[in-house]
Amino acid sequence: MSIERSDVILLAHATFGVLGVLSALWVFVEALNAREDNEARTRRVSLVVAACMCVAWILGGYWYLHFYPADKAMILKGPWPFAHSVFMETKEHLFFLTLILSLYLPVAAWGKLWANSNARKMVLCVSMLIALTGVAMEGSGAIVNHGAKIAYVRASLRGSP
Amino acid sequence: MTGINEPGLGRGKTAFALSAVIAIVLNTVVACTKDAYHPLKLFMASLGDNDWTTQGLADVIVFVGLGLVLMKIGGIEKFDSPRVIPLLVGAVIVAGGGLFAWYLLY
Repeated sequence: MSIERSDVILLAHATFGVLGVLSALWVFVEALNAREDNEARTRRVSLVVAACMCVAWILGGYWYLHFYPADKAMILKGPWPFAHSVFMETKEHLFFLTLILSLYLPVAAWGKLWANSNARKMVLCVSMLIALTGVAMEGSGAIVNHGAKIAYVRASLRGSP
Repeated sequence: MTGINEPGLGRGKTAFALSAVIAIVLNTVVACTKDAYHPLKLFMASLGDNDWTTQGLADVIVFVGLGLVLMKIGGIEKFDSPRVIPLLVGAVIVAGGGLFAWYLLY
């Protein structure tokens, strides 16, 4: 078994992204049931969302800059070049929308959501947008991964006797 | 715009929601512009490791900086929640859809 540093970074990036999405859904449910009792918990989980997305950004950014160029060249030469030209390009810029929303979530979740229906609506909208854009990025990541996989398989078949 | 007994979002939440809208739209505009105008991409790359790194940091700086500036501006509460929430949701849909359409067609 051989697990490279790039694999660990990539899997950690995806894991923190999923944890951020799940935490955003947690905030959504807490906001749906906003009460005085869950006020502090909602704030804490909103901070977890922001932290997870920041870690996903740093890990994903490091992997993208240091390890992705080789895969990118393979994807562009392979049968699914759109995995990079459409999905990776969209994903790498769409991520900033999720990041900004995640940084805004703790601001929106601050205060008494149970006493302010407008603030509650804002938290519901922002947490759902984080979850939806996050899921879109997870799906894009899967397409990029598949694009790289079939490109490497095709290249190895071509190279085999 | 909010009801008599309904509190608005307040200055901080409104200011940062508006700065999020601006940062989100700006992100898409910069992403498309740097592809269409290569010197911008090179300039952004010269500021950091990569144009993508520069763009991410710029987005965060715009969001935080503009949010703090808007908080200081009087009358920001006029953009109360019935306007700000659809504005934010609309910005995310337009910016996200715009990015996908751009890379699909470009």
